[in-house]
Amino acid sequence: MSYTITEACNGCGACAKICPVNAISGNKKSLHHIDNNTCIDCGVCGRICPNGRIIDENGEPCIMVKRSQWSKPEFNKKTCMSCNICIENCPVSCLALREPLDRKNLHGYPYLKNEKTCIACSFCAEDCPARSIEMIAPVQDKKQAA
Amino acid sequence: MGRGYMGKILNVDLSQGTFLEETIADDVYEKYLSGTGLASRLLYDRIPAGADPLGPDNILAFMSGLLTGSGSLFSGRWMVCGKSPLTGTWGDANCGGTFSPAIKRCGYDGILFSGISEKPVYLYIKNNHIELKDASTIWGMDAVETEEHLEEIHGPHAKAAVIGPAGERLSLISGVCNDKGRIAARSGLGAVMGSKKLKAVVLDGRKRIVPHDKEAMHKLSRKCNFWVQLQPPLGPSFVPAFLGTLLRILPTGMVQDGMIYKMILRQWGTGGMNQMSPEWGDSPIKNWKGSSKDWPMKKSKSADPDVVKNLEFIKYHCYACPLGCGGKCSMAGKYNETHKPEYESVLALGGLCMNEDTDSLFYLNELLNRAGMDTISTGATVAFALECYEQGIITIEDTDGIDLTWGNVNGIIALIYKMIRRDGIGDILADGTKRAAERIGKGAHQYAVHAGGQEPAMHDSRQDPGFGVHYSVDPTPGRHTIGSQLYYEMFQLWKRVKGIPKKLPMCMYTKNSKYKATMGKVKEAAACSKFMNVINGSGMCQFGTFLGITRAPLFDWLNAATGWKKTPNEYMEIGECIQTLKQAFNIKHGIEPKANMLSKRALGIPAQPEGANKGRTVPIEKLAGDYWELFGWDKATGKPTPATLSRFGIQY
Repeated sequence: MSYTITEACNGCGACAKICPVNAISGNKKSLHHIDNNTCIDCGVCGRICPNGRIIDENGEPCIMVKRSQWSKPEFNKKTCMSCNICIENCPVSCLALREPLDRKNLHGYPYLKNEKTCIACSFCAEDCPARSIEMIAPVQDKKQAA
Repeated sequence: MGRGYMGKILNVDLSQGTFLEETIADDVYEKYLSGTGLASRLLYDRIPAGADPLGPDNILAFMSGLLTGSGSLFSGRWMVCGKSPLTGTWGDANCGGTFSPAIKRCGYDGILFSGISEKPVYLYIKNNHIELKDASTIWGMDAVETEEHLEEIHGPHAKAAVIGPAGERLSLISGVCNDKGRIAARSGLGAVMGSKKLKAVVLDGRKRIVPHDKEAMHKLSRKCNFWVQLQPPLGPSFVPAFLGTLLRILPTGMVQDGMIYKMILRQWGTGGMNQMSPEWGDSPIKNWKGSSKDWPMKKSKSADPDVVKNLEFIKYHCYACPLGCGGKCSMAGKYNETHKPEYESVLALGGLCMNEDTDSLFYLNELLNRAGMDTISTGATVAFALECYEQGIITIEDTDGIDLTWGNVNGIIALIYKMIRRDGIGDILADGTKRAAERIGKGAHQYAVHAGGQEPAMHDSRQDPGFGVHYSVDPTPGRHTIGSQLYYEMFQLWKRVKGIPKKLPMCMYTKNSKYKATMGKVKEAAACSKFMNVINGSGMCQFGTFLGITRAPLFDWLNAATGWKKTPNEYMEIGECIQTLKQAFNIKHGIEPKANMLSKRALGIPAQPEGANKGRTVPIEKLAGDYWELFGWDKATGKPTPATLSRFGIQY
């Protein structure tokens, strides 16, 4: 069961614009629809919807998260095996291999190359067999923290 | 909950320009796995008897592995399958890189092409959109240029498998390329793609691949990774080279543990064997007529693993590979980036042709990867031509003035250019040694080393008779990736599979015992064949399985990915079924298995008078007959008996 959009959708189109597999269709200012066969359950529609009109695969309504607060992957180079699974499985191709600087270790390691493209799906962390990736939410700004 | 596989294939009819999605039942995967196993079932049923390999009836299948993307390690291999135009037999080739998960991310375990397109096309899939696009502007480009061009149009997430000019010109030793320097080279399937006017397959899907028990998959992978990362420094490259010398001098052999090879692969890649293998007689020299004496260390130094390694600027890991045996190299003023030449390429274009020029090994490796031509078969065909030239069968008039003296690097390069372009004598040689010998006549066939038309790889059956068995009896003849006595030792299958010979690691044995045709050796060969079918059904890399079955737990990964509860022996039975199906494919297409025996020279008939393999002969007649009988095939003809066919539900 993939994500679904409720009748209360106002058709702002934010979800359709960001969906990495173009699974969402609908006219502006009218109810949008998610194609079950295409949806990959990345959940970005739920995070972006300003009105909380999207229901996740468990039937729970999604809560909008400010984009600046979306979690980002952090990589543990000590346990990473350079297997490329995270890079290849990323639906928005925001990860890349960093070329080694040290000739003693010529294995490349993944890094978040394009932070703006990352949709915080956490597929990279979920799919890493070595548990080398952790999704970390950015630290809130000083005003909010205070 | 998933089962690791996608449960669907896509059929593309290039004559009609139509697509048909097809659901594959769960019990088919249980019987044949995915990859070459599933392809063997589908293509056995669908390619009509006697079909022209370069005609519309042949089907070219691009397959992913059952384990690809499921969380297991070493599972990034994809396979291309079809009727081989080179041998007329079942044909398959496999390759790493990033193309295997791309097939599954489009929602398919395989994509099957039938028919012939009127004009050059390429298949493009993005998410659920499928389209055949015009390829007339990229027809003629080399493989790397084609990939770069397609990446510019479709973005970096799109993964492509392409043919180069060799495939377009229907060279029977051409392959299918991906990741700008990897190639599924064997069986001549690049020519099948060329005959279908299919320039490329471009895949840009994002579907999730879901295993039955992801946590169990990851746990098994972490345990396996422990052994991969266990890497003491091996020292400079003369260490393995002298190990090779030691293995040659000692009167005894030793049951080897694959961890040694894992360490060599991790430090140098397959090139770690560049000097070691010729030393102990594993590498054929001078078109298989030479020996270790003709390629001493001062000559093999031209491919010193440390020299190659020093040009490497980053290790190359295929998808899901923690080992990283590949590498990308740069050479000041020559290449910004080129894939590190593999052992097979180095020896086929080096020792086999007596070529000592280091730069030319890089140059020819890049040239052939771009042309989409098999480096093994190309090197072997050049070596054949060099010997024909030496014997006066080919003259300088035939070669348009090219001097084909052994080791003449300029002559070798010029000849390979001619082969890629099918120009002059290159047209005669572009389809491998068997075809070339038939075209040249004048007794040239005695210098053509092949098995059923396929040039064997750079592993000498006179050093390890196991290679000779598989080169000769496998339904895909001439292949070094099926089994050998060494592979059997490294797979360590006896630790999980019941009823096969046990070996004690590091145990010594007399070298002469390797050449005795015993039932134990036949059982080992059969176990290797069955296991390789499981490996190729899973999309696993053979190098990973060299770690041994307990360290790279293939059977456990398969159970965790699918939710099955099969025993190792049940998986081996699946391998046996696939092997019989491929042999039945050959019989259906009129192949006589006996005709695929490896050329006598490579079997040590007559035995070599000097060198590491002095006096060695492979008792192939006895071993082949016993191997066939063990599979339930006729001992004299190699044809599966009616009882065996019935056991596996195969009908002619």
